[in-house]
Amino acid sequence: MAEKGGNGSPLPRGKAAAALKQGSLKGNNSSTMEESTHIEIDSSDSELEGFVEEKVPTSLNANEKSSAEQKSGKKKVSFGSLKSSGKASFDIPTAKGNLGKGGKGFNVGKASGKGNIPEATPIKPLVTEAELKLELELPKGARLLMDCEAAEVLQEIQGHMTVLSDDPKIKMPEPFSKALQYAKINAHYTNVQSVRQVLETLKQNGVTDGEICMIGNIDPETLDEVYALIPSLKTNKHKNEGAIADVLASLANFRTSN
Amino acid sequence: MFFHITLERNMQLHPRHFGPHLRDKLVAKLMKDVEGTCSGRHGFVVAITGVEDIGKGLIREGTGFVTFPVKYQAVVFRPFKGEILEAVVTMVNKMGFFAEAGPVQIFVSNHLIPDDMEFQSGDMPNYTTSDGSVKIQKDSEVRLKIIGTRVDATEIFCIGTIKDDFLGVINDPGAAA
Repeated sequence: MAEKGGNGSPLPRGKAAAALKQGSLKGNNSSTMEESTHIEIDSSDSELEGFVEEKVPTSLNANEKSSAEQKSGKKKVSFGSLKSSGKASFDIPTAKGNLGKGGKGFNVGKASGKGNIPEATPIKPLVTEAELKLELELPKGARLLMDCEAAEVLQEIQGHMTVLSDDPKIKMPEPFSKALQYAKINAHYTNVQSVRQVLETLKQNGVTDGEICMIGNIDPETLDEVYALIPSLKTNKHKNEGAIADVLASLANFRTSN
Repeated sequence: MFFHITLERNMQLHPRHFGPHLRDKLVAKLMKDVEGTCSGRHGFVVAITGVEDIGKGLIREGTGFVTFPVKYQAVVFRPFKGEILEAVVTMVNKMGFFAEAGPVQIFVSNHLIPDDMEFQSGDMPNYTTSDGSVKIQKDSEVRLKIIGTRVDATEIFCIGTIKDDFLGVINDPGAAA
């Protein structure tokens, strides 16, 4: 695999899906901003293990999480890192994980190479919450399912399996049972198709599939709740506020009693 | 979050399974091998919903096994950073609490629990507010936000927080009706 070395330091095989600009605040003033080496690494490997470093917004206002943001604007999946395993082949090329601000973001940028030079990264104007946009790197043809939709599908499968399986040795795998139970508990709506239709109207207002799915799963009651829990919607608030308010009113009709 | 995706896998079949029911045996083997597993890229494969295509088999040199490329559709569950989940608490200790959302385990550190909640040890360890109005204990339902994920070979483990707005206890089993 290609190794990308920043500053001459060898990097472990990196499949980190982030162009990283990590702001290491060690010894840097808030006002100091330096350009870090911008490296993009594809995450196309299914063997992604361990933590993947996140993009850290170098806005030094970000005190809650250190997620690097990408410069290029390409969408990458970012997972917060807890620690890098020995095998973790993602890596932050230059800057160490930004732990300066509390380090709560689990972005322990840990290049296993020794040559990592923490560098302050340029502050990008993108909001911190852009990281929470659920930049889902979905394989082609993937479809997001809300919990209520998943509950329907899984219940149907369970029905088939019990009918077809006469063999008492065949059991449901544990993740299936847990996922089914979880989906059933979180299925808030009586009429799933109608809910989906209502939520799909939000696409015209710039709401992404991930955000639509989140709204369906959270079942929010107020607009404040929506914007608090899905901060990425705030970027287009002027565009989507009315539509979301209408959708919330419609969804209330489909809510189950539990 | 649940996804419905198309995956592909190369299945090896022993010659003893060849015959009129080859396809059925292949599908059964696929379900046995794949359902319930976890991959870093796709998360937990919860259930296979259908087999789209089975390609031509290729005999492997040196053995009698035949490899079939199988395309199938599956429901997978994969948590993402920033996602809001409702989870059930499974264990509480002074470091924080563990919760489960489907097949995924989530840990919420005490640093990510609101400051006004304190750990109370005892038979039923819990986190309680100073006025006793809100309690987090085993089997409580909490709404949390995923702030980090870690993928092992067979499971996904997440870190969560309840320190933000609109997060916290939804349902406390110990609360009097």
